[in-house]
Amino acid sequence: MGILLSIVADLGVPNFYVLIPEIIVLTVALTILVLELFTKNKSLLSALSIFGLGLAAISVFFIQEGDKTLYGLYIVDTFSLWFKFLILITSITIFAVFNPYIDSKRSYYGEHYYLMLFSILGMMIMVSSPNLITMYMGLELMSISLYILVGLLKRDYKSKEGAFKYLIIGGAGTAIISYGIALIYGKTGTFDLIGIALKLQDNIDVGGIGGLVLLIVGLALKASAVPFHFWTPDAYEAAPTPITALMGGVAKLATYATIVRVTVDAFGGSSEVWAPAWAVLAAASMVVGNFIALRQKDVKRMLTYSSIAHTGYILAALASGNGVGFFAILFYAMVYVFMAIAGFLFLSAFERNEGWTNSVEDFKGLAKRHPIMALYMLILMFSMLGIPPTAGFMGKFGIFLSLISADVWWLTIVLVITSVISAGYYLRIVANMYMYEPISKAKFNLTQIEKAVIGFLSILTLLLGVYPAIFWEISNLLTNSLLMTAVAR
Amino acid sequence: MSVSYEYYLVLSGLLMVIGLIGIIIRKNIIALLISTELMLNSVNIAFVAFDIKLQDVAGQVFVFFILTIAAAEAAIGLGLIMAIYRMKRDVDVTKISELKG
Repeated sequence: MGILLSIVADLGVPNFYVLIPEIIVLTVALTILVLELFTKNKSLLSALSIFGLGLAAISVFFIQEGDKTLYGLYIVDTFSLWFKFLILITSITIFAVFNPYIDSKRSYYGEHYYLMLFSILGMMIMVSSPNLITMYMGLELMSISLYILVGLLKRDYKSKEGAFKYLIIGGAGTAIISYGIALIYGKTGTFDLIGIALKLQDNIDVGGIGGLVLLIVGLALKASAVPFHFWTPDAYEAAPTPITALMGGVAKLATYATIVRVTVDAFGGSSEVWAPAWAVLAAASMVVGNFIALRQKDVKRMLTYSSIAHTGYILAALASGNGVGFFAILFYAMVYVFMAIAGFLFLSAFERNEGWTNSVEDFKGLAKRHPIMALYMLILMFSMLGIPPTAGFMGKFGIFLSLISADVWWLTIVLVITSVISAGYYLRIVANMYMYEPISKAKFNLTQIEKAVIGFLSILTLLLGVYPAIFWEISNLLTNSLLMTAVAR
Repeated sequence: MSVSYEYYLVLSGLLMVIGLIGIIIRKNIIALLISTELMLNSVNIAFVAFDIKLQDVAGQVFVFFILTIAAAEAAIGLGLIMAIYRMKRDVDVTKISELKG
């Protein structure tokens, strides 16, 4: 004890008060870890998770901003608090519709709940990392929990195969990221983002460029940008659909936030290296994602490729390398998370019913059978396509502006052309829903919570397009907070 | 006589590339998992080599994190291999693949 006391006296006790959201999520996860051994009560476990996430989301508002804790390894600024809040709120919607889905698949595991909470904890750590070690640990906590979650579907071989592919390629991505970190560490002698920026300044040499390129490749792999997207369709298709929503919505949001923070804070001075790299990855993602999505008959796979294409749109904003770009990427990432989650949860709700195979044909005549749900899907498809007055339009508009402001015309043209191409598959669903007679009039069986959650998310998508001022302001605030940190070095 | 740190870096880079090639060309799922582990552990050599250069210990701390993650990934990977083998009685990627990528 003597040694421990002298260490604490030297360093000081870290401020645990600002870690309350993380502590709540961790406590709930560990409680469920023990509790699920004794009870098979799904509603209890799910209610406990939702309660914990809600409590953590509320506690975010009571935390003082701008504090660095755990000896500089953990930052609690506006950026991290807002993204934490968004991650918690959006994961609640997934937990809310999770039980009916696993009931219908007869694939109950108590592990689902705490693994989801652990991956959410990993995302929260990711977005509040001022340091490459913290970023790496958060990223891995998230990914490793997700590897298991993908494989947790009973008597389903595809789920195991998807999980294994995700594990192998995700593991390779982890190794590439850590090699990038090793090169940057060897060059600068520090893991701290601001420290790296101070050391590199504007003159980045070959070692630094190598590290940066490996880091970009690894992060692009985690965000499933082409040409590092092989795992995405398989893992997304094989996973239980609510887990796909978690991977394709919330985890993506955390990854984008981390990408923005790392590129801006640590490599703010070397935008001439990373801007073209992200531009090429973004262009490839837009082209490949949209063209392959056109050929998909399965809507889950189609949404997966659409999520690859959206990775392209979102990363395209980084190619501009200026404040407008960071603003646009944050805004689009924030509205995209609602669209993606609502899209996958829509499938998860219908997938529970007999005779629904997620194929495009199943959508035929849906407007006659479920007018309200069809309307929600219409809003979502228009939003992903980017038709005003939906949030997707405002997001694409922001990215368009940022690319023009940086004179990256070729990428702007790719963005516009691929957006037009994407109409081919989004509108096919809309046409199937509204222009065909239903084969049977039988209603699908949906719970009230599922309807409410999907309705909430799609109406939010519409409202954010009609009245984007709140999210504009927030993105503005976050961009300023990021750039302030980068400039203050 | 001590070996200068560049040699260790070359070794780690070589192991990294071997691991990457392994992931691309091997057809056995156990070999795929081994290749991933090889890649992760090659990074450890790089970190320790940079610590020789920088006269620091921060890199060696990072090595512990990577070891933990590699262990977790190996555990999940072996679990999945068991699950796959139970269902398909085979470990050849070309024979057991159902998803089209």
